[in-house]
Amino acid sequence: MTEINPEKIELDQEMESRNLDKSAIPVLEKIKKQGRSWKELSNQYGVENPDPPWKITLEATCDVLSEVSCALPGIERRWEEDELCDQHYADVPFPERQLLALAHSLIRRGLIDEEDLAKHMQEVSKRLNMV
Amino acid sequence: MADKHKPAPMVDEVSEFEILELAVRELAIEKGLFTAEDHQAWTEYMHTLGPLPAARLVAKAWLDPEYKKLCIEDGVKASLEVGIDWINQMPTKFGTPSDYCNLRVMADTPKLKHVVVCTLCSCYPRPILGQSPEWYRTPNYRRRLVRWPRQVLTEFGLQIPEDVEVRVVDSNQKTRYIVMPERPEGTEGWTEDQLTEIVTRDCLIGVAVPKPGKTANDPRPVRKALKPYSH
Amino acid sequence: MSKPHYDREHHVKKATGIGDPQCFKGEAGTPKYQVGDKVRIRDLPDVFYTRTQTYTRGCTATVVRLVYETPPAEDEAWDNTENVEWMYSLLFKQKDLWPEYADTFAQDTLETEIPEHWLEPA
Repeated sequence: MTEINPEKIELDQEMESRNLDKSAIPVLEKIKKQGRSWKELSNQYGVENPDPPWKITLEATCDVLSEVSCALPGIERRWEEDELCDQHYADVPFPERQLLALAHSLIRRGLIDEEDLAKHMQEVSKRLNMV
Repeated sequence: MADKHKPAPMVDEVSEFEILELAVRELAIEKGLFTAEDHQAWTEYMHTLGPLPAARLVAKAWLDPEYKKLCIEDGVKASLEVGIDWINQMPTKFGTPSDYCNLRVMADTPKLKHVVVCTLCSCYPRPILGQSPEWYRTPNYRRRLVRWPRQVLTEFGLQIPEDVEVRVVDSNQKTRYIVMPERPEGTEGWTEDQLTEIVTRDCLIGVAVPKPGKTANDPRPVRKALKPYSH
Repeated sequence: MSKPHYDREHHVKKATGIGDPQCFKGEAGTPKYQVGDKVRIRDLPDVFYTRTQTYTRGCTATVVRLVYETPPAEDEAWDNTENVEWMYSLLFKQKDLWPEYADTFAQDTLETEIPEHWLEPA
């Protein structure tokens, strides 16, 4: 029923040849362990919206990275997401999983720096939790 | 409708994931991978603000019987005239399961009132109407509208006279629907822009009817800062 | 590590720039029913996936429009796009769907779409 797609074979070969560094990234491992998923939070607070409010902005980030800046083509991001989720984020619910994989891809591609991210998260956290 | 005195529950806690999302986005902007404006434009794409393209479609059809015919016959083609290309304008350019490229415009008559629901999930004509309101996706609306439509419409403040047929449209496959309500009295001589103003989102779903003077859509969901930054 | 090379993009390639369901136009052959025909919704098993609502099963309706051609959702859920069929927009009387529906409002109706293989002549 579904034919073999030569382009998919090409993509697999191309992506496999890049030897994506799939080793764990400490800052993301920490979030994976400590972060509370939307599923958990929405249950606790009795919120019915099935998606976290940040899902739409995450999708926009993926879209602009692919369509506007071409820094991370959507098809390659998804390929890496599959691989990274298999390895590290299989137990994380969606879309938290997508977010972790995106950050992982960006770091491994050198588009953002792991240390910068850790630092910037502290800054954002301070801003969002400010009283 | 939901009890107006009780605010909807919110998650009163900032998660690590929420922080990560914002941090990744801000770093990408800082590194020049894209601009904040690019990001805003893509985010807003699905969260259409201001007069909806679908509202203009209805206003145009009220003024132009030929265009009305086209709307009823081919909603996708009619959408082009209000700037919506169901096929090429979507980021995907083919129609995802949420945005299949078949629009039908259900025209009300004095004896027929349409109202749209998706009992299976939340299918909604997003390209022309933006994101669906929260209540549209609730089991309450989905389950009850097909069976007790007049009761549900009454909860929206809409009483349909006995001699008018209520037609529920259940969006279960690849067609997406909007309702073209009757042009209300008191709008004689109005321009397209004036008419567009009164065709609110709820009128296009079919749970409200347009009235002169009632121009604002229901307040759109605003995610208020839990702990606003004090300058 | 080797992975199976399933073609996950075949739908994108077929539908891009054309639209779905437009991309299946002309593949369903001659429609079995025409506008005005009375049909009954079959009560088929739906073990895995369907978009034919339970509340329509066994009820009669009138064809009001032949809307488009498409593989049925039961197949598409498995990425099978071989068996393209006609999709019909059907009009039900609410009284036929819900026997207890108020007589006062016997004129009320419901419109929804059902693929051809779910229909039989009524």
